[in-house]
Amino acid sequence: MNNTKENTTPLVDNSYYEAVTTAIRSEARRVMESGEVSAVIGYKSGRRKGSAQPVIISDVSRIDELVFAPTCTNNLSLYLTKAKKEVSKKGKIAIVAKGCDLKALAGLMSESQLKRENLHLIGISCAGVHGSNVKPSEALSAATIARKCRECTVHVPEGVDCIAGTLPQLEQLSALESAELERLEAMSPAGRWAFWKEQFSRCIRCMACRQVCPFCYCEQCLCDRNRPQGVETTPRPAGNMGWHIVRAMHLAGRCAGCAECERSCPMDIPLNLLNRKMANELKELYGQEAGMQPQEKGPLATYKEDDDESFIK
Amino acid sequence: MPNTITEQNLRALIDTLVKDGSRVVGPKAAGDMTLYEPLAGGTELVLGVLPRRSAKETFFPLCEDILSYQKMEGKMTVEDIDLSRLPSTVLIGALPCDAAAPGILDAVFSWDYQDEFYLERRKKTTIIGLACTKSDDACFCTAVGYSPAESRGSDIFLLPLEGGRYRCQIISDKGNLLVERYKSFFTDEEGGNALPLSQPSMEKLDLQKIREWLENNFESDFWKEIAERCVGCGACAFICPACHCFDINDEGSEGKGVRRKHWDACGFSKFTNHASGHNPRDVQPQRYRNRIMHKFKYYDDKFGQTLCTGCGRCVRACPVGIDIAAVLQEIMKYEL
Repeated sequence: MNNTKENTTPLVDNSYYEAVTTAIRSEARRVMESGEVSAVIGYKSGRRKGSAQPVIISDVSRIDELVFAPTCTNNLSLYLTKAKKEVSKKGKIAIVAKGCDLKALAGLMSESQLKRENLHLIGISCAGVHGSNVKPSEALSAATIARKCRECTVHVPEGVDCIAGTLPQLEQLSALESAELERLEAMSPAGRWAFWKEQFSRCIRCMACRQVCPFCYCEQCLCDRNRPQGVETTPRPAGNMGWHIVRAMHLAGRCAGCAECERSCPMDIPLNLLNRKMANELKELYGQEAGMQPQEKGPLATYKEDDDESFIK
Repeated sequence: MPNTITEQNLRALIDTLVKDGSRVVGPKAAGDMTLYEPLAGGTELVLGVLPRRSAKETFFPLCEDILSYQKMEGKMTVEDIDLSRLPSTVLIGALPCDAAAPGILDAVFSWDYQDEFYLERRKKTTIIGLACTKSDDACFCTAVGYSPAESRGSDIFLLPLEGGRYRCQIISDKGNLLVERYKSFFTDEEGGNALPLSQPSMEKLDLQKIREWLENNFESDFWKEIAERCVGCGACAFICPACHCFDINDEGSEGKGVRRKHWDACGFSKFTNHASGHNPRDVQPQRYRNRIMHKFKYYDDKFGQTLCTGCGRCVRACPVGIDIAAVLQEIMKYEL
């Protein structure tokens, strides 16, 4: 979210991006040339100044297209899920991953969707990326940085095959998202209901939140079913609320916090607040938290004899 | 001959139109963004911002009821929607890229089937277009044959002048009728100099050449390369002024329910999913190809116009940075 009241002074120097870009290219070239991987999933520049987009490179002559910039927002792990069947998953693939993306990769490994040995992980020492609605040419600043990045705990990824760049000294930024979450938690249930009703009333059901989510890889989404219809598919209050509750519940204990759903929403619905709330609940109830390493199955997909069943009446 | 209107009078005109029972739709603040929404009064009109969604929903709403049904004592009754209840509407402050769109869509909505919902709204709406003074690097109207001063599609077209005035150009009979009826809000003065308009920087595209290339490259590898990154959401189509595909769903119960028409998008995997389970557009490149083909070839073949006014909304909204203008530039580079 672009907070115009914030400072627009660049948070990091351009030389940082140049160094990360050089490191990505050199590692990608090395593993492609040696035949270790068949393709590299990374970012390349777009037409608009400063813009970047995902790219899948399987030809070594194109390695120099790879870049890193504040617009490298995408969680590329999406391209390794079965939802993206256009992307060949044959052989080992190299993928560029920020700390938050790595958490998604680890989650996908935990869910037996990916195997670590089939991946070459190029981790990024990441200073943060743009939030939504920021002009691509703008520098990374307190005004343009994504809300999730203001509270990032995974600037430097762990358990990767190489780390691109060195993290510059970062300024401490106020935790806007936590503050907003606290504000909502302090509301009465009726107040919260009114808040979300208002937010979801803007939903146009473009499904961008689902399509960019690495964990929304179901081949048949419940919310697309029409024989019989599970959730109303029309952009109206009942269906919108239904869809967003289904989304939040299905991601509880799975969401890695990349906040791509929120960034991609053309109607600016603050979806990551729901994700964070569910993550907090899971942490409190089961001590489970998304991390950079694959874990056992998530708590909502596991049964233990000593599980608390007091809620069953 | 009424020539100009002050901003103050423009806002007062909205107040009067609302008072007279018209639905007035224009750019309005909706939280942190701007949307084309019904205005309660002139002060709500936001000038100089491109709304997040296009103005197409004035004629083709996101979702609308098209009939209702009810089963009583074993007998089913179906009730049509009373179209005469649709209000007379003034769409005000529509930017050229939005004002031009309904004129393009008329052809398909009145082709083999007369879409009475769209056509009734069209008939009852007067469009007051506004020249564009603020663009960004996603805008490319001039590249696809439109411009910040394009009055095509408007019934009245406003050109911003120095000193908070607008020069009014009456484009159609509908526009003339409105100006005649509300003459007192307009003045005969010439007004000052025109304010500088936006200048989108992209070079003009050769749409004819693009169409020819599309004609011969249905099976090109190009689609795979471009669309591999497409995630298959409907953001681009939903916020586009010219995309007009819709789905129809019956919602309710066996005893009572409503048939609804709502926006659909060719990027969705289920868009072409047959009842049999077979999907002729099985992978994303085939769906993205359809997006480009429909906009720059099929519609042109059939109706002589392309389905893009260069507003740049899809460029800004695409979660994976697909830039339709860059895709077209890429096609331009290919040999025919």
